[in-house]
Amino acid sequence: MINLAQKDIQHTLGKFIVTAMGVGMLLGIVLIMIGVYRGMIIDAQVLLDDLKVDLWVVQKDTLGPFAEASRVHEDLKNSIGIIEGVKKAEGITFQNLQLPSKAGPVRVFAVGFDPYGAIDPINPKKIIAGRGLERDHYEMVVTDKTGFHVGDTLHLGRDDYKVVGVTHGTVSSGGDPLVYVSLKDAQELQFLYANTRIRADRARGIKTLNSHMVNAVVATVRSGYSVNEVAEKIRRFKYKSVYTAEEEKTILTKNLIKMASKQIGMFTVILVIVSTIIIALIIYTMTLEKIKEIAIMKLIGIPNGMIIKMIMQETLLMGFLAFISANIFAHLIYAKFPKRVVLEIPDAWILFFVVIIASLLASLVGVKKVISADPSEAIGG
Amino acid sequence: MENRQAIKAENLVKTFGKGDSMVEVINGASFQVNKGELVALIAPSGAGKTTLLMMIGCVLEPTSGSIWLGDEKVYENRWLTKETRKIRREKIGFIFQAHYLIPFLTILDNITLVPQTNGISKEESEKNAIALLRYFDIEDKAKSMPSSLSGGQNQRAAIARALANRPQIILADEPTAALDIKRSVDVVKMLKKIAVDQDVAVIMVTHDEAMLPLCDRILKIEDKKVVSHSVSENKETGIL
Ligand SMILES: Nc1ncnc2c1ncn2[C@@H]1O[C@H](COP(=O)(O)OP(=O)(O)OP(=O)(O)O)[C@@H](O)[C@H]1O
Ligand SMILES: [Mg+2]
Repeated sequence: MINLAQKDIQHTLGKFIVTAMGVGMLLGIVLIMIGVYRGMIIDAQVLLDDLKVDLWVVQKDTLGPFAEASRVHEDLKNSIGIIEGVKKAEGITFQNLQLPSKAGPVRVFAVGFDPYGAIDPINPKKIIAGRGLERDHYEMVVTDKTGFHVGDTLHLGRDDYKVVGVTHGTVSSGGDPLVYVSLKDAQELQFLYANTRIRADRARGIKTLNSHMVNAVVATVRSGYSVNEVAEKIRRFKYKSVYTAEEEKTILTKNLIKMASKQIGMFTVILVIVSTIIIALIIYTMTLEKIKEIAIMKLIGIPNGMIIKMIMQETLLMGFLAFISANIFAHLIYAKFPKRVVLEIPDAWILFFVVIIASLLASLVGVKKVISADPSEAIGG
Repeated sequence: MENRQAIKAENLVKTFGKGDSMVEVINGASFQVNKGELVALIAPSGAGKTTLLMMIGCVLEPTSGSIWLGDEKVYENRWLTKETRKIRREKIGFIFQAHYLIPFLTILDNITLVPQTNGISKEESEKNAIALLRYFDIEDKAKSMPSSLSGGQNQRAAIARALANRPQIILADEPTAALDIKRSVDVVKMLKKIAVDQDVAVIMVTHDEAMLPLCDRILKIEDKKVVSHSVSENKETGIL
C-alpha cells in the first residue's frame, strides 16, 4: 500500500526538516530549563557535602543561614566543643561579595572559616591549583569560574588579598561561585563593608555590633554517639536551634526546590503549550496546503482513514524529529550556560512522551479539517 | 436478453439552500445510459451539468428521486449505502477539466492509489498501470511527478487513473476544455474506444459542438429536466 505521509514528506523534505528543527529548538529550551533545575539542586548541596559536618547550631528560632539571617557569637564554638559527644566545633560565616576585576565586579559567595581550626570546608580534592588557606589574614581561595588565578591580588575593603588556591566545581546554593577567606577577614569584610552605614547608625545613636559573630557553629560528633542525641543535648543546654546535616540539607533544598520547581515548572509548561500550538499551526497549514488534494482523494474514493493516517504520521514524525533536534540542540549549548545545567535521560524520556501526546493533540486540527473537506468542492475553482 | 443498463435516474431533484434563497437546479430528471455508450451532456453554463454528474457519481446527495448504477439501486430519497465512497472507488472513474493528479505522488502512484485501496496487490496494480500508460503513450513518465509533465500528458495520465479501477461508469466533466481541437478529438475518440473495448458507460460534459458527432447520443438539460437527442437530430436542428 502506498504510504501517503512518506510520499508527501519526500516531496517537501527540506521544508519539513527545517520546520521540525525549529520546533526542536523550542523543545531544546525546555530540556535546558529542566537541566537548570537539576543543576540548581546539585549546586545547592555542594557546600554542605564539602563541609562534612554532623550538626548545625544556629540562632534560636531560625532555620539557619541558608533560609534566613542567623547570627551566633563566635565563642559559642567553645561551649559546644565541650559538650559530651561533640568532636569538633567551629564558627563559620557566609556572605555575598563583589570581587573587583577588569571586566567588572564578580559576584561570589564567601565562606569564612578559621584556617587554624579543626573544620576545613574546602574539599582538598577540588583544589586544582595552589593550596588551601594557611594564614588567618589576606589569603583567598577562589573557584575557577571567577576567572582569577593563583597569585592574583584582589583589593577588598582596605586590604589586598592574595589568591593562594583555585578550586573547581564549588558553588553556593544560589549558584554563585564560592570563595574562601579566613574567619577574621570575613568578619572584617562584613564590618568594613558596612562602614558608612555604621557611621550613619552612630549618628542615629545606634550602637555598633561587635564583629565577633558568625552565622553558624558547625560541629562533628564523636563515633559512638548518636547525632540526634547530641543535637538534643545542645538544644537543652544552649537554647539554640540545632539541625543535623540531613535536616540542614532538607531546609536548603526544600525551599529551593519549592521555588525553583514552580518557577521552572511554569516556564516548562508554557513552552510545552507554545510548542504544541506551533506544531498544531504547522500541521493545520500543511493540511490546508493539501486541502484540494485531500478533497480530490475523497472524491475518487480514498477512505478518510487513509488520509487521517497520513496527517497523524506526519505530525508524529514532525514531533519525533523535533524531539531529536531538541536533544542535539540542548547538548550543543548546555555547557555554555554560566550556571550548572544537568541533562538527564529520564527527563528526555518524559519530554518524549509529552511531545508525542502534544503531536497527537496537534494532529486533531488537521484531522478535523480532513473530515470536513467537501469532495464536491474539489473540482471548483 | 442481457441488461445493458449502466446508469438509470428517475425523477431526480436537486435544490440548493432553503427558504427564500432556495435554488432548484434539477427537477424531475429521468434518463438512462447503457454499457458501451458514450453520451454527451450539454446545457448552458449554470444549468446543472456538474451537479447532475456529481449526483450520479455519488458525490453530491440529491434532494429526491432514484439512481441505479448497474443493477444496484444506490439512491432512493436517501443513500441506500453508507459507503458511497466505496461505490466511487470501485465503480466510477472521474475525469475533470484539470487533471487533479496528486502532486506529491508519482504518475504511477497516482494511478495505482485507488486500485491498491481496493485491495489489489501493488504488483498487479502497477502492471495494469504500466499497460494503461503504454496505451496512452506516456510509459516513460511512470516515475515522474505530475509537475514535470505537459498539460496533455497529465490529462492522459488523469484518464489512465480514471480507468485504473476498471470502472463500470466514467464521468467526465469537460475533459477537453483545456485542450486544442486535435487533442480534444483524440481524447473523445479514446473515450469512445474505451466505452466499446471495456463495455463502460461514459457521460461526457462538453461545450464543444465539434465533439458531438463523435458521441453516440446527446443528453440535454432543458427546463431542469434531461432530454435525450440523437446525434443526427442535432445535426439537423442544431440543438446546442
Ligand atoms: N453548493 C452549491 N450551493 C448553491 N448553489 C449551487 C451549489 N453548487 C451549484 N450551485 C448552483 O447550481 C447551478 C448549477 O451549477 P453547475 O455547476 O452544476 O452548473 P454547470 O452546468 O456545470 O455549469 P458550467 O458549465 O459553468 O460548469 C448554478 O446556478 C450554481 O450556482
Ligand atoms: Mg460544470
